[in-house]
Amino acid sequence: HLSRYAKRSTRVGLSVNTVPCTVKPTVTLQIGDAETDSSRPGVYVIDVTLPIGQTVNIQEISFKNYYTAYVSVRLLRRDGEGAAKWTTCLRNHCLMPSPHTEEGSQDYCSVYRQQMLIEPDNVTSVRLILRQPSSAWLNFSVEDIKIHPCLNEDSEWDIPDWLSDLTQVDQLCDLQGLPDPQTVSSSIQQMWALTEVMQTNQTTASIGRFDVDGCYDINLLSFT
Amino acid sequence: MAEKRRSGGTSGMSESKPTKTDTEREFLSQAGVGELLRGALLKMVEARSEDPMGFLADHFCNQASEAENGTGGCCSDGDLLNLGAGAHEQQQLSRALWHLRLAHHSQRSAFSNNVRVAYDLLTQTGPQRRGAVGPSGPAGQCSSNSPGGGVRGRLYTHTLQCLCSEGGVPVSTSAPLLRRLHCQDHEAVPYDIFRHGVLTCAVFSDYIRRAQRLYAEVCGPAEGPAGRTLCLAVLGTLHEALETSRSNEAKVSRYLEASAKISPGKLAQAMAGAEPAGGNMDAKEFEDAAAELFIARVRVVC
Repeated sequence: HLSRYAKRSTRVGLSVNTVPCTVKPTVTLQIGDAETDSSRPGVYVIDVTLPIGQTVNIQEISFKNYYTAYVSVRLLRRDGEGAAKWTTCLRNHCLMPSPHTEEGSQDYCSVYRQQMLIEPDNVTSVRLILRQPSSAWLNFSVEDIKIHPCLNEDSEWDIPDWLSDLTQVDQLCDLQGLPDPQTVSSSIQQMWALTEVMQTNQTTASIGRFDVDGCYDINLLSFT
Repeated sequence: MAEKRRSGGTSGMSESKPTKTDTEREFLSQAGVGELLRGALLKMVEARSEDPMGFLADHFCNQASEAENGTGGCCSDGDLLNLGAGAHEQQQLSRALWHLRLAHHSQRSAFSNNVRVAYDLLTQTGPQRRGAVGPSGPAGQCSSNSPGGGVRGRLYTHTLQCLCSEGGVPVSTSAPLLRRLHCQDHEAVPYDIFRHGVLTCAVFSDYIRRAQRLYAEVCGPAEGPAGRTLCLAVLGTLHEALETSRSNEAKVSRYLEASAKISPGKLAQAMAGAEPAGGNMDAKEFEDAAAELFIARVRVVC
């Protein structure tokens, strides 16, 4: 076999949240009897299932390639009535431009929602069909399969009205005879700041009066 | 001090006596001169007065009479009664005001320290009713708790009045503020309320001075009074900003929003929108209107 150079590329900034799922052992697709036939298979099928009852809206499927040339992806989706149906969402996606050579053989790959032929929503199972037509490689597979669900979009931050309302001084031309807005604004700002200082330093302490409007509640007077 | 240095005034003494420098050093440490000078220098740095000599003179004068009266207050009742409670009070008040004047309220820690000192001073006034304390030694200090546990209400009010008038605020303008901060003459004012009152008056003085300057700016180069609608428009922006930042949580976004309301652009807009007609507003009325915005937000002492 050809020597392999381990590629250690670091992934930064990809979505970390993944859905817990089970990767079933690889199934070989071969013609003829599996035990007697000695030729190496060219197709593997890997099933990835979610825990029973869970469905996911897939944002991304990521994995690490290991000498797979082409991958097809099929999804088992639950439709409105609850029936499950298999559909192909990715057909013969090329991972290695030339199956006989190293290029792309150990890349980290992602299949995104936007690349898929159908909407990957309400998915219960994912099937990866791996193909490697070249006989150069002893083995091929994909590793570290992760399914990333769609994140709920945060509601758009409301842009406050006042932000869009900012006026520039230069825009207003008719300022003849009026005081300079800069100096006036500066004074007003200082007065505002002073008032805020006073307000933030208010004490909640009480002097402890018992009288209300100068009169005492008779119950507070003790009998001596 | 190096052994080689000769101390002045002891010309007859031989330099070879090793005990000389020790005596000097001992003398200084016994007298506590290091502490005295250190205290004076710290105060000076805080106050940054323009007249260092006068400041130091005042400082040591105060220290001297405080030390006197501190012990005098509880030892020699005779002396105190001769002085008369009123005059003694006046003395304490002026000393307390001197302390409060040292640092601007924006110098937070220095100002707080000074308020504390002033408060302690003012709680010591009045002859001690408890006659149990006899003449104590020179190092003795009389108990700092007055029988009431705070500053006498009348003295507190007097302090606030002096602060306002020294700050350049006319009596009529500060009257509504003092009503809010008012404590009965006979009540004992605790430290928190004393501090609150003092700080509010100090800030208010700055505020009114600013308002006076603002009126001059609004009048502009013209000599006459400013237009009423113009004044109201300008004060209106301040009112709006204060309303916006009113919430107790002091969220940053509210401050930003409030500050956007008093940006130069907004001021220009408000001023341009003011109708030219509508009479004039004189300086006093403007000052009162501005004061009202401030005073409305002062918490009433209760």
